[in-house]
Amino acid sequence: MRILVCVKQVPDSTVKVKVAGDRRSIATEGVTWSISPYDEYAIELALERKDADGSTVVSVVTVGPARSRDALRQALAMGCDDATLVTAPEDLGGLDVAKALAAVAKELKPDVVLCGKQASDDDQGLVGPALAEALGWPHVGMLTKAVPGGDAIELWREVEGGHEVWKATPPVVGLVHKSEKEPRYPSLPGIMKAKKKEIPEKTIESLGVAPIAQRLEVLLMEPPPQRGGGKIFKLDGDAKGVAEQVAKALHEEAKVI
Amino acid sequence: MRVLVVAEKSGGQVRRVSQEIAAKAASFGDVDVIAVRGERYSPIAWSTAVAEKAKASGAQLVLIGATINGRDLAARAAAKLGWAYAADCTDLVTKEGAAEAKRPMYAGKIHATVRVPLPGFVSIRPGAWTLPVGAAAPGVADIEPGPEDPRLRLDRFEAAPTGGKRVSLAEARTIVSAGRGMKGPEHWKLVEELADALGAATGASRAVTDAGWRPNEEQVGQTGKTVTPDLYVALGISGAIQHLAGMTSSKVIVAVNKDPDADIFKIADYGVVGDLFEFVPAFTEAVRKVKAGG
Repeated sequence: MRILVCVKQVPDSTVKVKVAGDRRSIATEGVTWSISPYDEYAIELALERKDADGSTVVSVVTVGPARSRDALRQALAMGCDDATLVTAPEDLGGLDVAKALAAVAKELKPDVVLCGKQASDDDQGLVGPALAEALGWPHVGMLTKAVPGGDAIELWREVEGGHEVWKATPPVVGLVHKSEKEPRYPSLPGIMKAKKKEIPEKTIESLGVAPIAQRLEVLLMEPPPQRGGGKIFKLDGDAKGVAEQVAKALHEEAKVI
Repeated sequence: MRVLVVAEKSGGQVRRVSQEIAAKAASFGDVDVIAVRGERYSPIAWSTAVAEKAKASGAQLVLIGATINGRDLAARAAAKLGWAYAADCTDLVTKEGAAEAKRPMYAGKIHATVRVPLPGFVSIRPGAWTLPVGAAAPGVADIEPGPEDPRLRLDRFEAAPTGGKRVSLAEARTIVSAGRGMKGPEHWKLVEELADALGAATGASRAVTDAGWRPNEEQVGQTGKTVTPDLYVALGISGAIQHLAGMTSSKVIVAVNKDPDADIFKIADYGVVGDLFEFVPAFTEAVRKVKAGG
């Protein structure tokens, strides 16, 4: 089986994000970049297939600025077999990113394409379904598990109250919500091997993608409104008294119960 | 402007988020409210039907709840039509052939205003628009799903061990969430009793879902669910940045933690410093009393 994982390089999710001086973008100075967490789960799901069946080939691709090469290097170090970098301006719209990914998928001919369900920077969740649409393939979202069996692959989709289990005959696009295991860390031999691998670079123009106008334009970015100045209660042995005060405040002041 | 609202139903009833959107949509233009007929969502059949309807109706703006299925459907339908799509928005205004949407980015660490060229799709976060008191249920026209893709079929539904009996986390107006401070899954009865007293959904921190104490679907925060209830009660959650990102837009936050320096207190409206095993049972009792009118 051949699996193609699509990733995006984003600011590391454990760090604070600040608005830049133009108030339309984020300050990138000093930012640590990583693979978007949902894409890491997608890599993990793909590599688990490879663990189970050594003949599985896992390719990884990204569309983004030149620094995205580091994300691919990390994916290779985790155990992916090959990587493709498609350089593109950072504000390329989701539908165009999907077209570029579709062009790469058509060359690599994977059975399964996995993407994170959304990138953790714009939190849109457009590219995966749009890629499936561009390829003319079905997609299944919110994946937490992919189990091959015979001609079909079982795709577990987390929804309210449980999982829908879909059966797909490849090719199919899966949008990953989470893997059961935490994404693996790159191993030292993995890192050494990844350093030696060539990462071919393409441009969106070379893939025949002409950007269209139907994309979002950021007009303003702001930090979320500050909270704080709340009331603090100390129990000091009087749990009942404090509990009654808090319940009363929620009822009379905040009016939420 | 023609506006198409795609409503979702649950157990035959129009979901609250769809009602919220239908009530607000009239301020943007002439509104049609539709729902795709069928018990369970199908990504291909439903998105095909909605895309066709959107095109045929001449809609400039298609609104749908930013639920799991709503977001899936909107993305695929927008891609089918080559229209713009803004996901998980918290507000919207229309301006000269475009819409301007407010939407959280970076898991809520940034609040952005984006221009959405029209025609376009916008999904709206549950609870972002308040449902007016006494609002009439919207009239919903059912449409038929499109053809299925033969390469994909729903095989079965596997219910989560704890699933189904509570309010859905994404739409809940009250949430009781608990973290590692609970010390073990065997203490969750305390959380559930408080949730029952409040009529709340239950959530959890990532530490707790990763440890397998609670199912993944309860995880609040980045890589889990982003929630905006009227009341969020955090029990034994210290407040990692990823958790805060997922709940900081809640209207009122109550935090209980034994560490007075826990980050959760920085965003709490009411903070209780102390042992949650003492406080929670007393609080459950106090909530019951208040709710009973005494």
